[in-house]
Amino acid sequence: MKTFGLLRRQRALLNCAPISQDGLADRSMRSAVYRAAASADFVNQQNFDRAIAELVRRIPIPPETAEWFSEKDLAVGSKWTWKKIVRNPAVLAISIAVLVIAGVSVFQLLGRLHDFPGSTTARKLLGVAASTRPVMLDPVNTEAGTLSDLFFMKHGLEHYDVPVEFADFQAIGCRVFEDEESRRIAQIWLAEKRMQVFLFPAERDTKTGAVLHFPGWRYVHQEGWVGAVREYSGVCFMVALRGREKELEPYLSKPKE
Amino acid sequence: MLGDSRKAHEVFHTTLREAAVRAAQGELPREPLWLFRDARWRSLEASKTDLQPEPLELDEHDATPEAALQIEQLEPTQLAIWISNAPDPQRTALALFYLDEFDYCEILDIAELKLNVLSRYLSQGRRQLQAWLDAKHPEPRQI
Repeated sequence: MKTFGLLRRQRALLNCAPISQDGLADRSMRSAVYRAAASADFVNQQNFDRAIAELVRRIPIPPETAEWFSEKDLAVGSKWTWKKIVRNPAVLAISIAVLVIAGVSVFQLLGRLHDFPGSTTARKLLGVAASTRPVMLDPVNTEAGTLSDLFFMKHGLEHYDVPVEFADFQAIGCRVFEDEESRRIAQIWLAEKRMQVFLFPAERDTKTGAVLHFPGWRYVHQEGWVGAVREYSGVCFMVALRGREKELEPYLSKPKE
Repeated sequence: MLGDSRKAHEVFHTTLREAAVRAAQGELPREPLWLFRDARWRSLEASKTDLQPEPLELDEHDATPEAALQIEQLEPTQLAIWISNAPDPQRTALALFYLDEFDYCEILDIAELKLNVLSRYLSQGRRQLQAWLDAKHPEPRQI
């Protein structure tokens, strides 16, 4: 081929230039063909090759050979069964990952479903309950309901009232302390089933400062402890014991909401 | 490659049968073009016993714009016989190239050639074909 000005490799490529344009996938071939596209020699070569290829297509193929090239697939690949798909390591790994993610999401969603304003504080206080020993509280020997006056008179805590359901229970100790956010918490130890009672400020809207109310009793759980929480007049009351919800239920005036 | 449809059919069947046996034994090579390389070697083997043409210097002419008309006057089997009489590996190069099914990289792989060698065989093949066409049909048919 008399294509002057082309590199030796490009001339070699042009001699092997594909007959149809589909074979131009190779970048160096594409570049060589592009450079020589206008040359008369290359046009002659392409016409020559196309004519020969057309003739080759007309070379008769024996019918017994031709039937191998019918439209039908020569071999039908093995079908993908569910069993096969499940056993595929990639599918297995992805499935496990999806299950774990779904499990965590469901777990978090269920956790959120039981959340209410103040539930985080309530859980922390269950931890406090678990670590409290009777000696840590000031000993008292009175009904729990009367301690509301003590909290008001001695500590200035308004509405730290023990609900009527628990007002008659004997208290054996009480204290007032501040949590890490400087909120003042009242704690009472009851003789009844070694229950503990907490009174703490209800959660407020960070923008408006309004109390976030919630109706009825709500349960929280933490490390084997269960607490039932109710909000009234901007103060949350929680009764806690080591055990399960059903042990608290008889003491609550209304069913859980 | 063989210029003989009966032999070609035998090679085709033998290649497929061997491939099926290897597949059944799980011994299929990983390289994608092994089947064509295998078919090529079987074709060369099958043509070993044929009468070989005398090695002689063929005339060579540059491809002309009228070549396409000259080629039209050829019978497909004449071309098949002409290619099958070319010495290998030029025969393989021409057969694979004009099948128009493989790109040049695949031809290099199957025929186990280097680019400059394949280029030389194809270029020489065209010029020899043109000389043969000129000898066979000196006056292209007028349309």
